[in-house]
Amino acid sequence: MDRRAFLRTAAATGGVLAAARFLPARASAVLAPAAGERKTKHLVLVAFAGGVRTRETFGTPQNVPTLAALADEGVLYTRARTSNLGHFGAALAIFTGLAEQRGIRENARSNDVTLFEYLRKDLGWGPNDAWIATSGGAQQVNYAYGLHPEYGAKYGANTLDGEGIFNREFKSLLETWGRPRVWSEAEERELASLRACLAQRAGATKPDPGAAQVERFLLEELTRGTADLTGPNASDAKALRVARNLLTLFRPKITAVVLQDADIAHGNYGGYVEVVRRNDAAIGELWKAIKQDPELANSTAIMVVPEFGRDRDLNSRRGLDHGDGSEELGYVTCACWGPDFKKKSIVKEDVGVVDVTPTICDLFGAKPRFAHGKRLPGLFA
Amino acid sequence: MRRIPVLGLFFGVFLGAGVDYAGEKPQGDPQAPVDPRTLRALALDLLGRPPLEAEWQRWRTLTRAKLQDELVGSPEFWTHWFEEQLYYFLLVNNFRPVQERLVAIPRELAEKRLDVREAIHRVALSSSFDQRNPGADTFVTVVMEQLAGLEVTKNQRELEIGKKVYDGAPGTFLGAPAQSQADVVRNAVKSGFFAQHLLRREYERLARSKPDAKDLAPWCVQFEKDPRCFPELERGWLEGPAYAARLAQGAPLPNRSFARALYVDLADRLPTFEEAEPMREALDSLADSAPLRSITARLLIDSGKLALPARKDVSDVSGWLRTRFLRLLGREPSEGELGAFGKILDEPGARLETVLYALVSSPEYNRC
Repeated sequence: MDRRAFLRTAAATGGVLAAARFLPARASAVLAPAAGERKTKHLVLVAFAGGVRTRETFGTPQNVPTLAALADEGVLYTRARTSNLGHFGAALAIFTGLAEQRGIRENARSNDVTLFEYLRKDLGWGPNDAWIATSGGAQQVNYAYGLHPEYGAKYGANTLDGEGIFNREFKSLLETWGRPRVWSEAEERELASLRACLAQRAGATKPDPGAAQVERFLLEELTRGTADLTGPNASDAKALRVARNLLTLFRPKITAVVLQDADIAHGNYGGYVEVVRRNDAAIGELWKAIKQDPELANSTAIMVVPEFGRDRDLNSRRGLDHGDGSEELGYVTCACWGPDFKKKSIVKEDVGVVDVTPTICDLFGAKPRFAHGKRLPGLFA
Repeated sequence: MRRIPVLGLFFGVFLGAGVDYAGEKPQGDPQAPVDPRTLRALALDLLGRPPLEAEWQRWRTLTRAKLQDELVGSPEFWTHWFEEQLYYFLLVNNFRPVQERLVAIPRELAEKRLDVREAIHRVALSSSFDQRNPGADTFVTVVMEQLAGLEVTKNQRELEIGKKVYDGAPGTFLGAPAQSQADVVRNAVKSGFFAQHLLRREYERLARSKPDAKDLAPWCVQFEKDPRCFPELERGWLEGPAYAARLAQGAPLPNRSFARALYVDLADRLPTFEEAEPMREALDSLADSAPLRSITARLLIDSGKLALPARKDVSDVSGWLRTRFLRLLGREPSEGELGAFGKILDEPGARLETVLYALVSSPEYNRC
């Protein structure tokens, strides 16, 4: 009997609370609806990475009117513990539920299982049900999946780095080549037969029917205005724009966004605050798009989670590094909003950013077998 | 938007997964001309691109040893090595160094006026490296991890000393006195950790496997004695069993090599930096770059800028096909493939572009 079936049986016999005693603390979701009964069908997880302190976000609400409004209609966690593992490792911890040391410039996958793999494997989600839009370049595509033998690439998320693909130079390169010619049906048939011939040798697997949709999306996005976004948060703005377009086109069950531009803070405090403000506005656009979409409006949740904060004091360049071990670095504030979450709730007890993966898995009904975090307390209505 | 319906058919296949190179094993006779698979793999591994038509014609007459001698240590070998180092340090896009002292590194390496240790030392002292790794914590962490191969969580004390040194305080960092940001870099580059880490990762880049500790130790001794031995070490790695296994199994073609290979294989010219780098950057932005690889190949083929011959200008179809297979896939076509491809090209209105597109968008092309 699985956990949900067990709980249903226990509830029917009036033994819910008694039954919960025999479950691990992290799994005691007895009073929350089971995943299948929840209203949330889509979730947007914004990793507000790059190093963002509470002081410049919820500590100065005028910088983040969107996040403040999200929190006002949802749940605010004021003490989410982080690990200073460098940007790569710390952001990865949000997606794996495991805080492990990773090389700060490491550009490789780990054996850790990601949130996307748990969800896709356990729930049978398709390739276009999980997407990540990133802004930090080549390194961040490693968030899509790990190398665990029981999970891995076939359960990974589609990853798209906004700054990478929508760089102006690539757009202008494509423009010099021109748009693809429409091939005749005869040519397409010929191509298919040649490919089938080559595939026999390559041992190709069955083609993925959603892949053509991805390709059309890429071509369409390449000719939109995403490449023209500028400003101190240009990379983040592209990632959020991509996420918004993905959400309305594919309606993924989970869409993650990884931001990065706040790290400008090392040498430019004013620029950092401006990034926080602009990203808040871009998240506002995303939220607005969700609210205006009849299908998404009442079935979509949003979680905004920084990967860590920044130092308490300015450095000699009047910027903010991240390495002093202070509480401002180690604790961040997270906001959650959605149809199954409490409203106007503030949780002041210590939680961890590694709790995000177990919480989302719980929300949808997947098992985060290797994650160390636990479900966020006080979240579900 | 106009529709291009069949493009997506192969996208479910991870790049080249499942390609079987059995039967394409490199030849054993040292006096025999290099086989086409090895030729292509050597060019891609050592120069970061496949051979141009003229090079291919000439190189295929050489023995493998002669070809390796020609490629290892050549100016283009060092240019590729330098680019791979920049990529390793993620000194790309806005962080790419443009200072003359940095740009001159491949030339000075080729002229033997610089060795790889000095080259990396120079890179790590650059403003690009500093900007890429801002702040004491990030900078010292990166130096420890990427130059010395140390895990900072296991060397917290060293990290804290390094951060103080970075800010100008005196201290002993990695076994030597130091009092500045430049000293942090110098001590890492001069430490014994440096050679071990550099040789380990460079071996892994070439052979696609980790070196045995018993092999690594003598290489480090040789390197510490004279870092200019690096090309000699690399020649030795090419002759080893790990590289033989890499050739036999094939390896995924990195995005940066794909971007260059597409121009070489389709246009018979090297791309400019302005052509290759944005493509590399775009391909790197996807966890599975297969859809975008296919799109870029299609766009390039459809651009009308490739100066490809028309079908009617190719009288020997079998010969043309055989050459394309040898050059693009590094192998002879099978009888079945020759028949199927030849039949398509015999149809009225057939285009060579269709064949080229099928080849460069195949999983097999995306391995080397």
